[in-house]
Amino acid sequence: MTSSLTRSVVLALLLLFLVGPFIVIIAASFSGGDTLAFPPQGFSLQWVVKVFMVQSFRSSFALSMFLAVFATFAALVLGIPASYALARYRIPFGETVRTVVSSPIIVPGIIVGLALLRYLVVPFRIDVILALFLAHTALVLPYAVRVVSASLDNLRSDIEEAAVLLGSSRLGAFFRVVMPNIRGGILAAFILGFVTSFNQVPVSLFLSGPGVQTLPIDMLGYMERTYDPSVAALSSLLAFMSIGIVFLAERFIGFSRYV
Amino acid sequence: MFQNRAEGLALALPAAIFAAIVFVLPVIILLSGGLHVGGHWSGEAYIRFFGGSLNRLVLWRTLELGVLVTLVAAVVGYASAFAIVGLSASAKGRMIGLVVLPLMISPVARTYAWFVILGRTGMVNKALILVGLTDRPVRFLFTETAVFIGLLQLFLPLMVISLVSALENMPRDVVPAARVLGANWLQIFFKVVLPLTREGLVIGGTLVFTGAVTAYITPAILGGSKVLTLVTLLYQRVTIANDLVSASVIALLLIVMSFGANLLLKRLATARNRT
Repeated sequence: MTSSLTRSVVLALLLLFLVGPFIVIIAASFSGGDTLAFPPQGFSLQWVVKVFMVQSFRSSFALSMFLAVFATFAALVLGIPASYALARYRIPFGETVRTVVSSPIIVPGIIVGLALLRYLVVPFRIDVILALFLAHTALVLPYAVRVVSASLDNLRSDIEEAAVLLGSSRLGAFFRVVMPNIRGGILAAFILGFVTSFNQVPVSLFLSGPGVQTLPIDMLGYMERTYDPSVAALSSLLAFMSIGIVFLAERFIGFSRYV
Repeated sequence: MFQNRAEGLALALPAAIFAAIVFVLPVIILLSGGLHVGGHWSGEAYIRFFGGSLNRLVLWRTLELGVLVTLVAAVVGYASAFAIVGLSASAKGRMIGLVVLPLMISPVARTYAWFVILGRTGMVNKALILVGLTDRPVRFLFTETAVFIGLLQLFLPLMVISLVSALENMPRDVVPAARVLGANWLQIFFKVVLPLTREGLVIGGTLVFTGAVTAYITPAILGGSKVLTLVTLLYQRVTIANDLVSASVIALLLIVMSFGANLLLKRLATARNRT
């Protein structure tokens, strides 16, 4: 119904607005100058190199990686059995259980972080890293339950009933029949959880202490103090990392079907 | 469906108990902090909060930004979604991929790009000086406009993908049918397309509004302390003044706004359908 010219113009403007800014930061990361500018003055790799030299970036990157991997893993360990119970069993207060495990997605992250800090971490003297781990697990849990539940809903339950009738134990049927069939969903949930945790700011904001910061929080602090292009270089590297992950995920499991 | 309740509960409870302890209880205690001041229940904290002119300004600005971003995202979203559904299958897949991709990239990186573009020595200012529209850099950073642009870029993809799937589920021949029957484009949009895609609009609108109203990074980087929103105000009240009562009031306001937007959009969508 739209002529092809208007369509091309609309799509070009949309992409310019959504993707254009990334091209700007990528260009700014290779700037030869000392301050942030676009178009960049000259070309150099100094800012990309500097990213790897800044000690705090190295430690905050390690912390963010650690949190993203282990919090997502923990969320799946809690979330897969819960999704399975919600999909296959008639349990009392099933809807309440679903609401409780999905609730961290509904409430703004900054409130989650503050509430955790004041009413769990401080009173019980929980270690900062453990607190971040708990918060990120709670944050990823709704995504894990949503994606795994969707996979389970698409899987007919009679094949596992057949396995049980043929003499398999319930646990055996789960691991040998159900798990192989929802592997794609679990992998998609892992990637979504990893990205969500890795990019998370508001939840970690109050929970980060001096010396213990996640990468995005560290970047926010750095850009307040300095005006050099190293944050641009780091942003580009992170953008490439995300693009790489999504590309591989799409290639191997058809990621976009799950999210 | 298995009937063994104990087994089902044993599987579901660890996750539920974890979320209740780590999340639900602390948030409830935080929210009650603003309603339970000095040993008794009262709305005093709320009266005091709304008495402050800065607080009212920030609340109003947050709502205004949320509504504006949602409206503009809806208009741009419909135009883009129409253009995308008209593409061939493979081009459509690539296009949706490009629209969704920014969602997976760190919002700090995404917002930082606007810092580069809108800054004093940024691209926009260079262009303005070059064509002679201004001889001194214009201040874009730390204005509501900058926050608006940043939020729109952050949340537009959610609206576009919601509307694309809504348009794809719309029967293909309704628009040509309305056209043949003599409807103009405005009539087609409001009488045919909108009612048939209202579910996608409600989902997209709720996601965009809630995202815009509860965002921290964009107002923090592009607005700073000059353009506070409820979330950055909350952060400031806690870190500067250790004011947990105000934080509790703001937290409840944010939650009410998120849920309220969802209900209101649903109501609007069904009302439109009845006429």
